[in-house]
Amino acid sequence: MGDKSTPLLAVLQLLRKYNLKGTEDILRKEANLGDVEYENLDLPEVELANILTAHHTESDPYSYEFAYDSLKKFVENSLDVYKYELSTLLYPVFVHMYLILILYDHNEHAIKILEKFGPEQDEYYQDDLKRLCAVKNKDQVKGNELAEIYSSNKFQVQLSRDASTQLKRYLHEQKSSPIIINIIKNHIQIDVCDGPGRSHAQVKSTLGGLLGEASRNENRTKVYYGLLKEPDLQILPAQIEDEEEAEETPDKPKKKKAKKDNIFMKKPKSDPNAPPNDRIPLPDLKENDKVEKGKALREAAKRVQLGPECLPSICFYTLLNSGHTAICADICDDSTLLAVGFNNSTIKVWTLTTVRLRGMKSADKLQDIDREAVRLWSLQCWTCIVVYRGHVWPVWDTRWSPHGHYFASGGHDRIARLWATDHHQPLRIFAGHLSDIDCIQFHPNSNYIATGSSDRTVRLWDCLTGTQVRIMTGHRSTPFTLAFSACGRWLASGGGAGEIQIWDLSSGLPSAAIPPASNSPIHALAFSRDGTILASGSLDSTIKLWDFAIISDENINEENGNAAPTQKEDKFLLRSYATKNSPIKSLHFTRRNLLLAVGSYDGSV
Amino acid sequence: MSDSELGYGSSFTVDSVKVIAESVGIGNLVDDAAKELADDVSYRLKIIVQDAMKFMQHSKRQKLSITDIDHALKVQNIEPQYGFIQPDSLPFRFASGGGRELHFIEEKDIDLSEILSAPPPKIPLDVSLRAHWLSVDGVQPTVPENPPPLSKEAQKLESVDPITKLSKPANKDAAGKPVCGKAARLKASESVHVKQLATHELSVEQQLYYKEITEACVGSDEGRRAEALQSLACDPGLHEMLPRMCTFISEGVKVNVVQNNLALLIYLMRMVKAMLDNQSLYLEKYLHELIPSVSTCIVARQLCMRPEVDNHWALRDFAARLMAQICKTFNTSTNNLQTRVTRLFSKALQCPSQTNNESGPSMVPSMKESEKTPLASLYGAVQGLAELGPEVVKVFILSRVRWLGERVEGALSGIGGADRLAAGNLKHQLLKVLAPVVRAHRQPPDLPDDYKREYGYLGPSLQQMVSKLRSSPTGGNAGGAVAVVTCTPPLLPSPSPAPGPSLAPAPAPAPSPSPASVTIQHTSQAHAKTIESVASRNVVITSSAPQSPAPSTPPPQKFVIVSSQQKNQTQPASSAGHIVMHSSQPTIVRSQNAPVSVVAKPVFARSGSAQQPPPELDDLSHLA
Repeated sequence: MGDKSTPLLAVLQLLRKYNLKGTEDILRKEANLGDVEYENLDLPEVELANILTAHHTESDPYSYEFAYDSLKKFVENSLDVYKYELSTLLYPVFVHMYLILILYDHNEHAIKILEKFGPEQDEYYQDDLKRLCAVKNKDQVKGNELAEIYSSNKFQVQLSRDASTQLKRYLHEQKSSPIIINIIKNHIQIDVCDGPGRSHAQVKSTLGGLLGEASRNENRTKVYYGLLKEPDLQILPAQIEDEEEAEETPDKPKKKKAKKDNIFMKKPKSDPNAPPNDRIPLPDLKENDKVEKGKALREAAKRVQLGPECLPSICFYTLLNSGHTAICADICDDSTLLAVGFNNSTIKVWTLTTVRLRGMKSADKLQDIDREAVRLWSLQCWTCIVVYRGHVWPVWDTRWSPHGHYFASGGHDRIARLWATDHHQPLRIFAGHLSDIDCIQFHPNSNYIATGSSDRTVRLWDCLTGTQVRIMTGHRSTPFTLAFSACGRWLASGGGAGEIQIWDLSSGLPSAAIPPASNSPIHALAFSRDGTILASGSLDSTIKLWDFAIISDENINEENGNAAPTQKEDKFLLRSYATKNSPIKSLHFTRRNLLLAVGSYDGSV
Repeated sequence: MSDSELGYGSSFTVDSVKVIAESVGIGNLVDDAAKELADDVSYRLKIIVQDAMKFMQHSKRQKLSITDIDHALKVQNIEPQYGFIQPDSLPFRFASGGGRELHFIEEKDIDLSEILSAPPPKIPLDVSLRAHWLSVDGVQPTVPENPPPLSKEAQKLESVDPITKLSKPANKDAAGKPVCGKAARLKASESVHVKQLATHELSVEQQLYYKEITEACVGSDEGRRAEALQSLACDPGLHEMLPRMCTFISEGVKVNVVQNNLALLIYLMRMVKAMLDNQSLYLEKYLHELIPSVSTCIVARQLCMRPEVDNHWALRDFAARLMAQICKTFNTSTNNLQTRVTRLFSKALQCPSQTNNESGPSMVPSMKESEKTPLASLYGAVQGLAELGPEVVKVFILSRVRWLGERVEGALSGIGGADRLAAGNLKHQLLKVLAPVVRAHRQPPDLPDDYKREYGYLGPSLQQMVSKLRSSPTGGNAGGAVAVVTCTPPLLPSPSPAPGPSLAPAPAPAPSPSPASVTIQHTSQAHAKTIESVASRNVVITSSAPQSPAPSTPPPQKFVIVSSQQKNQTQPASSAGHIVMHSSQPTIVRSQNAPVSVVAKPVFARSGSAQQPPPELDDLSHLA
């Protein structure tokens, strides 16, 4: 006998208790209950009452509004210490009230409660609410992506011990109307932690995820965010031209975004955060790789040291006549090639130097616009070499490992995959995101992959174990781009509403939040090779430069004081450059710290 | 929240569903069924649109396109809707009737054979890549590829309400664009907030640029001039030099009108043209300087040394076109620019009797003058009015054609060679301007006698012209006034085509006050007014600029232009120059403070050197 009959049994027991024989018989006949259950009617008194009242209130749509109001009052009237933590409960309770009302066919009441309390929910939840309110009857709940996410997962809420005690006391008082109790029991995971209650700013900094905050336990694993040693470059005497370069040699990483801070590089062996070089197998360097690496080194020696005093020059590549057809762009690490993906699934490659294309030596490249499959293109023979199948839905983003060999992809199927060029199947599958994976990025040491998703979380995955090692909440909108700092410790993500979040990978906590300058999404982020400047490019056709040295310094200082993340954008903003109506598609720092930007001119506006 | 209904859960109405049902042949849909359908369809559509948004966001766009919807449908395993490729948005049409309101999309029948026979559409341009420097060492260079440092809106705001600039020192928008090199050298974090308050101060680079541009514009090297004009017409970020440029032009015109230096006047007008063409400049607040200069070049009594030889007519035509462009661009209901300019020209055309009737005693002194309005000025006024459109021609020229004819007749029968040439030109111009208007205005039977009676001396020629127009095939269907006029080429001075605008040896670099005032008195009435309205400020021009030391400043010279006192009698209340001046009060103060001398200097330098080769006649071809 399923759950459905439990209330029936309870009613029968009630009827028997009051000796209403006639009704009891009719009900029994009508409900078609077997004798066995009937004979065994022996529910404990408390449970009986609970079932009956629960049934009563669930079917009473009016009580919901009242219950939410009372919870709101409780939150408002509680002490400031608990107030902000407790206020995080309001949204999940509200959402589940709506869903329950829909499930019990009280559609009008559901809409009423939505209209009454919806607008007062936090701004970043409004988009979800708009999506949710499309659901208007029972049948639609099943099959709706968002409603299913809410009903099959628990919303995470972090409370300090004191706050949770307060909550328990309140719930105890509300015994008579168990709506909220039920919701909290069934749909909300309360993560109780010791220590004092958090301040408003602290609470705010981690809010915004589709399912609330990350629980603390999930971010316990140690992350080796240090850079790999570059052991083999001494074998390349030909590449070393002067002493200065020789000095820098040991710490020169090879690929994308993998440039080290000088001080850091001098003692790579003592870095406790670096993973062992053989943590994940990396292919041996071939002769031409070494030549490439040597070239990179020489270039790096000529790098301009950037800072607030010395801003980079920006060379802007404008795509003319492209209209809305150009989707994405990327510049290869040695800044010689520019690839642009178009909406008719073609890729065009431009050379940015005077060298003719065909004669060039360059790494294989991959583009990310194809649907449901990832293709590997060779830049040496200009053909598609391999098609990797595995994704069943559109692939939103792919990225090479800085050391080559591996690449990662993520898309609409909410799963990120790690591939290697010599396997036709993915090596690792990273599942856990609740919504589309919109962007993906390799850590400079190739051991980790960061993904940003429409569930407004950024997660870090370990390539070796395939597990999720960090889950970072605090984004108010979908992150569309990710960038690791040159030192590997910081991760920057740019959101759809124009905000930029800086995460500290050592703790998984947001270390800075740069509020949006405009409503346009950030589509490109790049760290300068020396890690002092963060450049962001957005749909509103501006490139902004941020002083990353201040951001990271502040954070290191904060570690002692444990202060809240700063919100003062002015302090970080160095410059903002507007283009003539060319939304930025991509940003790239050359090895000499020249910033290259790609945008397509939009003449229609 | 008033729009909460809109925000949370809008859905199709039952009526829409019924209409849609009808359109596919289901006549009587029950209300309940329609309601169910409406709810379900709304839900499904929302889901599809939500998915389509993802595709839009990943395409880095802000506009949802049809392909996004197609992709979303594919993701949900629904057949996409083929054939909905539409470059523009489809407007909903509205129709009501029978108590029902209906929104629908108009679907046109397309003739296939038409498409087949049509020439193939143009192949779209291929995507191309273009690189430019967005920033050099943190400073954004002002190249055409970059947006102007100060947008037109900001310039406008600044001129309308200069206080705003003082009240908000930290201008976020301008944060990335330091005003000049000096600011860029400042510590970056500071330069974000520090906005220069006195933008009249030009940086050294700007001074150099100003010098180069002005010299090139009035210099003898045609190649350099073309480059300079190109720069004036295209470069963003010139707004800081605008006051100087305008003063340069207006002072230059004043001086060169006095000296009858046609070539320089042409060059100055071409500068005006270039500035008008520059999209990033907000010129409104300098119109009070530009309009008098331009109108001077249209109606001045004498623009060149040898009126019988030089082609000053082209300058008048060109300036008239400029004036029309100014009117078209800047006319608003508050400044009534076009009305005022029209009035200015029409006054020059007034015959004595009309002036008497219309303007009363205050105009008496000018009346005597206007009887002698030179033919060249008449020509300019006609041209100026003609450029403003056929309606203006009809009202202001056609009504005076009889009087104008008398003037022409008188001059043609006279003895003065220059006068005869001028009269010929004026006649030709009048015919050319009037013929299309008359043609549109009169019914076909064109009898020479009628014309003679109505239009006086010019009647018969006009009649010929009109009938020629009517008979020409193009003239037949084009109703407008711009019909092709097959006419003889403009009368050019026949005897000596070569010399062109003369650059006669100018007098001393410093013209004494007297010639200036004398010439101004001599110029036509309209001209006098326009010039005076500016010149009446008794501008003292010194060449030592206190604010902007030009790199090569000549030893201090003083030029004084003294305005004639006549201006008090001819009250310029209605002249365009005056009006614009007082409509933008703060500007005047500024331009008075501007170091005018720097402006005037190159003009004199050039005109003073007698060796300078006279510009070729085909200079004028640029004007056409």
